[in-house]
Amino acid sequence: MKKPSLFRNLLLSLLIPCAVLLVLEIIALAKGVRLFVNADSWKLFFRAVANVTLTTFALSINLDSGRFDFSLGSVSMLSATIAGTLSQQWQLGPWLTLAAAVCIAAGLGLIHGGVYVLTRIPPIIVSLGMALFYEGCAFAFTGGKGVSLVTRTDIIGFSQIGNYILVTAAAVALIVLLFDYTRFGANYRALVSGQKIAVETGIREVGNALGCYAVSGALMGVVGFIGMANTGSQQMALNFGSIGIMFTAFLPMFIGGWIGRYINRRIGIMLGAVSMALISLAYARFDTASSVQSIVSALLLVLFLIYLNNEFAILSRFRRKQEVKS
Amino acid sequence: MKNMKRILSLALCLMLALACIPALADAPVKIGVLVADATGAEALAFRAYYEHYIAKAYNVEFIYSEELNTADGEKNAIDNFIVNNCKAIISFSSVDRPAQIEQCDAAGIYYAVATGTLTAEEYEEFKDYEYYVGAIGPSLDTEFRVGYDMAAYYIDQGMTKFGIFGGAVPYRTDMHIYRAAGMLCAMIDKGGEGAAYQGVTDPGAVIGMIYGTGSIETGKIGSLELMAYVGGYDFDDAWFGKLAQMAGTEGIEAILTVGSGVDVLGSFVSGSNVKLATVDSFTAAMGEAMNSGIIDYVAGKFATSIGPIFVATLNAVNGQPIRDNDGNALALDQGYWVATDAEQFAQYYAVDSSSEDPAYSKAILDTYVPAGVSYDDFAAFIAQYSFDEIAALKK
Repeated sequence: MKKPSLFRNLLLSLLIPCAVLLVLEIIALAKGVRLFVNADSWKLFFRAVANVTLTTFALSINLDSGRFDFSLGSVSMLSATIAGTLSQQWQLGPWLTLAAAVCIAAGLGLIHGGVYVLTRIPPIIVSLGMALFYEGCAFAFTGGKGVSLVTRTDIIGFSQIGNYILVTAAAVALIVLLFDYTRFGANYRALVSGQKIAVETGIREVGNALGCYAVSGALMGVVGFIGMANTGSQQMALNFGSIGIMFTAFLPMFIGGWIGRYINRRIGIMLGAVSMALISLAYARFDTASSVQSIVSALLLVLFLIYLNNEFAILSRFRRKQEVKS
Repeated sequence: MKNMKRILSLALCLMLALACIPALADAPVKIGVLVADATGAEALAFRAYYEHYIAKAYNVEFIYSEELNTADGEKNAIDNFIVNNCKAIISFSSVDRPAQIEQCDAAGIYYAVATGTLTAEEYEEFKDYEYYVGAIGPSLDTEFRVGYDMAAYYIDQGMTKFGIFGGAVPYRTDMHIYRAAGMLCAMIDKGGEGAAYQGVTDPGAVIGMIYGTGSIETGKIGSLELMAYVGGYDFDDAWFGKLAQMAGTEGIEAILTVGSGVDVLGSFVSGSNVKLATVDSFTAAMGEAMNSGIIDYVAGKFATSIGPIFVATLNAVNGQPIRDNDGNALALDQGYWVATDAEQFAQYYAVDSSSEDPAYSKAILDTYVPAGVSYDDFAAFIAQYSFDEIAALKK
C-alpha cells in the first residue's frame, strides 16, 4: 500500500485555512477592503487564534471522552476575576497574573472534576451546576463589580502579537506533548477509544478524568487572562451568561477533526482556529452586523457537519464523475 | 376539668395572638424590585443604596428579582413578589411595562417605574390606574439632551472627528437611541452650513432613522465627521476588533459612548490622545480612569436618584399617594450629573458612594413622607436634581 506523502498531508492540512483566506480575500477585494490593514488587524487575528485554539482544546479534551462542559466560560471568568483582584492588591505583573489565573483555573477545573467523579451525576448536569456556582462565586467575590485594570498599563500591555503567538505556541506544544507523548495521554486515548476495556487493563479513569478537567481549566485560565488584558476589565455574568464562549469552539473542533486525518489533531485544531480567526477578522473588517455574523457562523457549522456526515457519498459521486470523464 | 381545658386553650390562644401584635406592627413593608441588570456598576450602586441605606433608614425590606430580559420573566417575578406578600413593586425592567402595570393593578399592589419613564401613549393609558404610583427618571428628552451635551462639549473645544459607540442601539433600546440621536443632532447643529445626517436635520427624523436601521452611518456632517461607529454588546473577537479599529482610526479625536465606555473601550484608548466620553455611573473604577486620563467626560445617574421614587411608593403603600390635581400618577423627569474633570468626579463620587450620608439622605426624603405632600412640591423637589441643588437641600 502506498504511504501518503508528507507533502500531500501538509497540503491537505492547510487546505481549509487557505481556502477560507482565499474566499475572504476575494470578498475583501470586491468590497475594496484590506483584511490585514494595520497592526490592529494582526492583533485581532492572533488574539482570536489564541482564544479559539485554547478554548477548543479545553472543550475537546473532555468532549472526546463524552463529558460535555458548559462551565468553561465561568472558569475563565472566575479565574480572571480572582487573578485580577490579586494583581490589583499585590501589584502583580502580567506574567505573574497569568500564572495565577492558570493555577486558579486548574484548581477550579479540578474541583469540577472532583464533583463529577464523586457524585457520578451525568457530566453535562454537573457542568451546568458548576457554571452557575462559579458565576455566583465571581459575583460574590467582587460584590458584582467585576475587576477593572484599565489603568494598569502593564496588564493591558500584554495584548501584543508576540505574546499571543507565544501563548498559542506554548499551549499547542504542551497539549501535544501531554496527550501524545506521555503515559497520561496514552491512557487518555485508550479511555476515549474504549473505556471499559481500558479500565479492565488497569487504567485509572478517575485520575485521568481529574487530570483532564484540571488541564481544561488551566487553558481557560489563559483565555480569561487574555480577555481581561484585552479590555482591562472583567465583567460579571449570571444565569449562564458565561456559556457563550463554548460555542465558538465547535466549528474549529470539527475542522480540527477533519484536518487531524492528515496531521496531528491538536495542530489540526489550531489550524481550525486560524480559519475561525480569519472569519472573525473579516467580520470586523467588513463591519458585519452581529445578526449576520450569527447566521453565517451557524451556516458554516451546519454545512461542515452535513459534509462530514455525507462525506463518503459526496466523494464517491465526485470520483464516479471523474471516472466517467476519463 | 373540661371547662378548665377550654379556659386554658383560650388563654393560650389569647397569649399567642397578643404576642403576634408587636411582631405584626414591626413587620417591614416588603417591596419587590424588578431588575434587568444585576451586574452593571449602575445597577449595583442602586441596589447598595436601597439595601444598605434605605432599608436601614425605613422599615422596609427589598426583595430583588433575578436579571430579567423577557416579558415572561417579568411576569413570573411579579407572581413571586405577590406570593411573598410584597406591598409594592419598583421596576428597573422595561421589557413589557404595560403588562407589568396591568398585572400589579389586578393584584392590588403598587407599581412604580425607577430611572425611566413611560412613553406619552403609555402614560395616557395608565395614569389613572389606582395602583400605578408613577415614574421618576430621565425622560427620553433628557436622554437626547445628555447625548447632545456630550457631543457639544467636544465640538465646542474645536474637535471635528468623532466615533460613536452605540451600545444597545441594534437592540432598539430607547435610551441608547435617543442618546446617540442627541450626539448626531449636536453635530448637525454645530456642523455649519449644510450639516445633515443622511440628508436629514430634524431630530425626529434622525431618531426615526436610527430606529429603522438599528445602526448609525458614518460620514461627514457638515464640517464635522463621524469617522467610526460600533454598536451592540457581542463580546466576541470580531466585536473587540471593531472597537480596536474605531479607537485606532487615523485622525479620530473623541469617542462618544452611550454607555459602558470605559469597560469596552478603556484599554483601546489608553495611552492615546483620543478622548473618551460616556454615560455611566460614579464608581471607584471610573474615578481611576478619570484620574489617569482614560476618560474625561462622565454623565452619570447618581445612585441615590432612586430615593424619591421609593418615597412616592412608600407614601402610596401608607395610603397617601402623591397624585396631580387631576388624580393622575407621577411622571417626573430627572437628569444626570456630569463630571468633566477628576476633581469634580471625586466630589460626586464621595457623596454618591456614601452609605452614611448619601445625596438623598433620610432627612431630605422625610420631608416628603408625611401625609398631604402636594404634587407640585414633590415635582419641585425632583426638579432640583443637580449636585449643587441637592447639596443646597441638605443645608
